Amino acid sequence: MGTAAQQDTNGPRGHGVDPRQLRALIAAGVRLDVRSARRRGRRSFGLPPMVSMLVTYAVIGSFLALSMLRTTDPFTFALLTLSAAMFMTAVTVIMEYSSVVVNPDDHEILSHRPVSSRTYFWAKIANLLFYVCSTALALSLPASITIGLRFGGGLPLGLAYAGLALLGCTASASLVVLLYSTAIRVFDSQRFSSAITYVHSVATLVLTFGYVLVPRMLMREGVVLEIAPGRWSWFVPPAWYAGAVAVAAGETTEQNGLLAALAVVSAAAVIAMALSLISLDYSRRISDLAAASSDVSAREDRRPVITRFGRLGRLLCRTDEERAGYDLMGRYMHRDRKLRMRVYPAFGLPLAVYLFGLVTRSLSDPFGPRVAEPGFPIQELLGFYCVFITLFFATAMTQSDQWKASWIFHAAPVRDRVAIIVGARKLVIWRYLLPFFVVLLVLMSFVIPPASAAVYLLITLLLSLLSFSLLSLASPYLPLSQSIEKTRQARQLGLVMLLGIAMGALVAIKETIREAPLPGAIAVVLLAALAALSEVALRRRLKVRLAREEFAG
Amino acid sequence: MHAIQLRALTKRFGPVEAVRGVDLAIPRGQICGYLGPNGAGKTTTVKMAVGMLSPTSGTALIEGVDVTGQPVEAKARIGFVPETGALYENLTPREYLALIGNLYHLNTELAAERSDRFLSYFGIADAADRLMTSFSRGMRQKVLISAALIHNPSILFLDEPLAGLDANTALVLKELLRDLASRGKTVFYCSHILEVVERICDRVVIINDGQIVADGAVDELKDLTHRASLEDAFTDLTSSVDVDSIVRALSDNVTGSGRGGVS
Repeated sequence: MGTAAQQDTNGPRGHGVDPRQLRALIAAGVRLDVRSARRRGRRSFGLPPMVSMLVTYAVIGSFLALSMLRTTDPFTFALLTLSAAMFMTAVTVIMEYSSVVVNPDDHEILSHRPVSSRTYFWAKIANLLFYVCSTALALSLPASITIGLRFGGGLPLGLAYAGLALLGCTASASLVVLLYSTAIRVFDSQRFSSAITYVHSVATLVLTFGYVLVPRMLMREGVVLEIAPGRWSWFVPPAWYAGAVAVAAGETTEQNGLLAALAVVSAAAVIAMALSLISLDYSRRISDLAAASSDVSAREDRRPVITRFGRLGRLLCRTDEERAGYDLMGRYMHRDRKLRMRVYPAFGLPLAVYLFGLVTRSLSDPFGPRVAEPGFPIQELLGFYCVFITLFFATAMTQSDQWKASWIFHAAPVRDRVAIIVGARKLVIWRYLLPFFVVLLVLMSFVIPPASAAVYLLITLLLSLLSFSLLSLASPYLPLSQSIEKTRQARQLGLVMLLGIAMGALVAIKETIREAPLPGAIAVVLLAALAALSEVALRRRLKVRLAREEFAG
Repeated sequence: MHAIQLRALTKRFGPVEAVRGVDLAIPRGQICGYLGPNGAGKTTTVKMAVGMLSPTSGTALIEGVDVTGQPVEAKARIGFVPETGALYENLTPREYLALIGNLYHLNTELAAERSDRFLSYFGIADAADRLMTSFSRGMRQKVLISAALIHNPSILFLDEPLAGLDANTALVLKELLRDLASRGKTVFYCSHILEVVERICDRVVIINDGQIVADGAVDELKDLTHRASLEDAFTDLTSSVDVDSIVRALSDNVTGSGRGGVS
């Protein structure tokens, strides 16, 4: 039977993958990737957002490659650079999961169109690959040039490195997708929506252990610049790819060959598993998730809203506007799964470092006698990740699917719109950051003297508050008033990686206290004053910024 | 064979049964108005009928094709204007309609030709190459309507299609629907605006609390409820409260009468 529509068409191509639809969806996806965040003409550094993200990643990749120049063999070089690239790719996919892999807009726009789930799935995979490969290439290109020049392999070695880096990063992104897909299958769709938030944290922990901390642990064994493949290499995925790079560099030992084979086989396996797990009923799952979302909202709406935190808010907030910001942020943190997904993983990072320190007994009193430690001391890494949490909050608290609802802040006779942001920031600080630091204090007190832990965490907290103010300056918007745009958070992740050098302040203050407590105490007081000043500066800047801000919905 | 047939269609969200055993058969060429108060289950019914949501039980058939069993075949026959107005805002209208044309396997030249005409007829040709991020609700609605019609579907599902449209465009759309129906298209029209439904629909189905409570021509519904207007008939069928007393209570609440309101 021919329908009216079919009279004008070439007709669909069966029930598998439809090539024409696939091409159209991929092209649209790439356009959307490149254009996202250009909303209302906003751009970063005058470049399209994805390009600016890639430039940032290329700069990070360059730092990484240059810092590895002291390595003496291709295996070590590849192990360390690939570890970082694979980790960053995985973290990027985690952070952008809601827009890269599961996009609710797709359900609204495409689910009533005659697109088979396989076609849709492959289009999403192609877009994901485009995204992952672009990121991986930006991170790895400097290293691929460096390895070719440094170890005499020239262009062939550089190309081999780049290819293996792409494979490794794709495998690491597939692992993330696999974890999520497995979670979709293990939990029913309604429970999954809540569980996904926690899967995020677990995935972050696993990835942190796998791709950052394990190579670091190897360094602790005393081999900093030359890491020979050993039995441990079988358990460290980046080592497999490093083995393959070593083979490409002419180091064709039996172990390198086996590691290379393992890299290829494992990548093929993890990619195939990720694809097969989610290809069959992808769009149905998306539909189920949408349904679950309605259901969860309906159920959560009936929960009582006045909690002990609500009472805390009334104590902390001085004006009605502050209370409005505090309540809005609190309720969305409680009910908006996507918002939780964007911030909770950050808490996994310092906890992972703490666990690592516990397991390897490398977490020592920061103010005690110096312990000979290669690389960055573990407590500094923990401190860095604590500061890192503020990045997630600073960006996520301004974004929402329901950003258009922020018209109310423009239409209502609000005397002080800055107070709304201040209220939301108070919520983040008092309800999330401070309790987290208290938990860390308790945990660290099991390992190091409580007084040392308290002072050290106080310094870290002050740095976090300072960082939170500075990051909020870069994101000066009303709570939940911006659309969730792909690459925004990833770009900021890149910036924070670059700003990691600021952690020198933590080390400097710590060392000052260790050497001379009085000047150290003065430094802490100065840091507190700086944090307070940054809050004042933030409010002033916000006042100017918000005076110009118009509702753009 | 009916153009649209819903058989015991049911949708449950956890403990909430949003749609409860809806049975409906709509013949070809009919404009069927689907009315109901807020939360009655209108949009959920439409979403199941167009394949956006899986029914908990029951089936939706589009020209005899099961939407759940053969989704691609069924969806190829449908044009849908969703209530949410969702579209890819970072595309231009021309790019968006080209994408839709590709998804329905429309000949590329034909799709381009039709999209240009739609944009021109709807008065947004000047914005054809602008990103839709800056579009007003009405402009987006025009793009959505174009996207629903570009592949010449035999069945149209419209969920509040007049939202944001100016009076002239709304008039054009109403007349267009009548014309399309006379050419054999079937229209499933979901709305709150009773005047429009009364004017263009051959048949009106009223849903309340997930169940169909009335089904017939406008005059039949008026006769059934012994009311002079569809509005009164609708209120009779879907509301158990006295409108006058509700109005009085609301007004008192606004002005603070009785309990000492805000000055």
